Amino acid sequence: MSERVLSRAVGLLSLATVAVLWECAARYGLVNRVLLPPPSAIAAALRDLIADGDVLRPLLHTVYLFVIGYGVACILGIAVGLWMGCSPFADGLLEPLVELLRPIPKSALVPALFLFLGIGMATMVTIIAFAAVFPVLINTYQGVRGIDPVLLETARTFRCSRWTTLRAVILPAAMPAILTGMKVALSLGIVLAILAEMLAGLDGLGFVILDTQRAFQTQQMYAWIAVLAAFGAGLSLLFDKIEQIAVPWRGR
Amino acid sequence: MTDRSIPSQVVPSPAAPAADGARSWLRHSRRLNGVLLVVALLVLWEVSARLGWANSANWPPVSAVFVALLQGLISGELLQLLASTLMRTASGYVIGCGAGVALGLLLGTNRWARYVLKPIVEVLRPIPAPAIVPPLILFLGVDNALKIFVISLACFFPVFLNTLAGVAGVDDVLLQTARTFRVSARKTLLSVVLPAALPMIAAGMRTATGIALVVTVIAEMIAGSAGLGYYIIQMQYALRPEAMYAAVICLAITGYLLNRAVLIAEARLIPWLGK
Amino acid sequence: MKYLRSIGFACGMLAAVVAGAASAVSPARAAEPTKLRVSIIPINDVTPLFAAIKQGYFADEGITIDTSPSAGGATGIPGLVAGSFDIVYGNVVSMLLAAQQGIDIRVVAPGTKIETPENDTSALVVRADSGIRTGKDLEGKTVGVNTRNNVIWLYARAWIKATGGDPDKVTYKEIPHPQMEDALRQKQVDAGYMVIPYVALATAKPEFTKIGHPYSAVQLGVDVGQYLTTSKFLAEHPQTAEKFVRALRRGIEWYNANRGKPELLEIVSGFTRINVDLLSRIQMSPSPLKVDPPQIEKTMKLMIENKLLKGPIDVKPLVANTAL
Repeated sequence: MSERVLSRAVGLLSLATVAVLWECAARYGLVNRVLLPPPSAIAAALRDLIADGDVLRPLLHTVYLFVIGYGVACILGIAVGLWMGCSPFADGLLEPLVELLRPIPKSALVPALFLFLGIGMATMVTIIAFAAVFPVLINTYQGVRGIDPVLLETARTFRCSRWTTLRAVILPAAMPAILTGMKVALSLGIVLAILAEMLAGLDGLGFVILDTQRAFQTQQMYAWIAVLAAFGAGLSLLFDKIEQIAVPWRGR
Repeated sequence: MTDRSIPSQVVPSPAAPAADGARSWLRHSRRLNGVLLVVALLVLWEVSARLGWANSANWPPVSAVFVALLQGLISGELLQLLASTLMRTASGYVIGCGAGVALGLLLGTNRWARYVLKPIVEVLRPIPAPAIVPPLILFLGVDNALKIFVISLACFFPVFLNTLAGVAGVDDVLLQTARTFRVSARKTLLSVVLPAALPMIAAGMRTATGIALVVTVIAEMIAGSAGLGYYIIQMQYALRPEAMYAAVICLAITGYLLNRAVLIAEARLIPWLGK
Repeated sequence: MKYLRSIGFACGMLAAVVAGAASAVSPARAAEPTKLRVSIIPINDVTPLFAAIKQGYFADEGITIDTSPSAGGATGIPGLVAGSFDIVYGNVVSMLLAAQQGIDIRVVAPGTKIETPENDTSALVVRADSGIRTGKDLEGKTVGVNTRNNVIWLYARAWIKATGGDPDKVTYKEIPHPQMEDALRQKQVDAGYMVIPYVALATAKPEFTKIGHPYSAVQLGVDVGQYLTTSKFLAEHPQTAEKFVRALRRGIEWYNANRGKPELLEIVSGFTRINVDLLSRIQMSPSPLKVDPPQIEKTMKLMIENKLLKGPIDVKPLVANTAL
């Protein structure tokens, strides 16, 4: 048996064991069924959610929020990071502001932003973007700063235009750092999206998880958490694929 | 790796060769722009609140926020809340990092442990921290047990994964050398594997530092009755937004100092990490 | 196995960490029932409890009360289930939802009741120039409630139906109480179901107007909130439960006799953190001395009608004798 097959088999066996133990514990009353329903009940609840199509609205709400917020954060973070990295003027202008805003635990800003901007999609997107922008920005900046000066000199020797230098030299060289920042921003963005949905209660996975908990519908609650976990795992896999395409030279 | 602060020492770009004095002056004048920008934004905040542009009781002038901050600091209330928040952050951080390193070493050095446990960790990992709070409240209640558990779980994953990667990346030659010299397994782990994996572990712990405070505030907000996270919500309900913003500023300063402290500690403790 | 000892070492480390964690986080709950942990919502409804603490009524009974506020208000019953609290203040809808799911819950003492229309301080508020006056006008519009699928949402729906509207044609948006006024002004919602003190502050301004008091209009006498505990607690500590309710009742009487007095405002300000001068502008309604099970049944029927409950629940066993 190859190493890979063996590890997969043992892994599946291990997960299956946990599920069976949990099922037995719940069935024979070792744990309170209301608090921790057996996996079979959760699976049934999950199947109902998917079969009815109920899963779509909250999921799409979260996806929509996250994609916009994260997209804005990446574009803004890379643009400002590049600008600050390349232009001493921009660096001096924005550095104090960035240093001031960056260390704020973004979760603390959620109620503040709701107060300021009102409760709605715009606020939630702002929160996600605000939380996710800093890792991207800082990493882009450091990526640009870390570029070998010889590379830049070479570009100048070949009389590359500023645009060409940016596109052909600076961006590819800073790409690994940018992607690292984007990866951190990814998990931070999901955390803030869920928190914002919980505190604002419009819709989305964060809302339904809290809503089912408040109604003590624990089977549905765990089913929704499973949906959220799948969403998180899917995003992370997607990101790894994109990373492989964008930076093929960075081995895994 | 991730949350490193902008080096305050601006590296002179090769395009701008200038005399030292002139450069330092230039740098200061550039930073002056930035400070002016911050001041301008604060003035805008003050003016917008005073002139009622926002037309909301929830938008206090920045001067009121600073007064509330000062009052909170002088009366000791904010410091007390901060201390309780930091106590939770620190406990969760230490437990999460400890478990992350221990499990990372175990799974990194033993493939059976890795086969059995890694899938379980992988299944749990993509669940964002706020989502595990509602089910956990049903088991752990709303006190420190819940909050510290959630914080440690959030700190655990980056430390664990980095430790695992660090152990996997240890040079085989090193291990073989240790074996050739008949170094005991325990000694190999302590004096070969651990130091070699340390830079990765440190990077994981740095990521965890950033996460710890964010998650502490989340846990205090969702299952609140203590700490700055709860205070923020409480002040929102008590119609005292200036006190709420003061607490946010207090957390921002804490976050900044924490990040600095980690960078300094790292430079001291792992001198070979380099920049 | 070459790494056998290293595994042992790592396991040891892990065990130490877990043990440390367990000792650090193990909840420090004393078994003796002289100290009760009570979860509260920092709103006027729980003032009698704080009055009883302040007046020493609990001390007279030989018990101390450790209150734990939860501003969002959603963690009370889950905390009770997990053993963080002995008693929680909760609303009737949350209580019935928990009971339906088989959670061990009992009403131990009265909390809030709307006995006369004048005492119904909560209201549906709209912009004065919106022209909205009835539930019929709200069709196709958005109503702000603090929590969907809960008590305020339920009575907002019932009021819309009672005034000629179809509650299913209205959108409900969750807005925390403190932000309801801003949400109304910024037209994120067309109506907001507001409670004190926020409703008093908003309707003091000419731009907002009340269009109805859903609690009293739909179900005069409604038991909105109660003090809850588990049947386990009642069975294990019947005397402590009685002591608690006795002291609380004295607190309720004191509160009813001293409503609006400066001494009481100090108490309210102490746990809500709201400024006293702001509180002095607010009407405080009297508190009930006992729970009325038929009113809980009415709420239950309303919940079935609005699909919050699948079927009827036997309410009588849920209410402990101490509450009657």
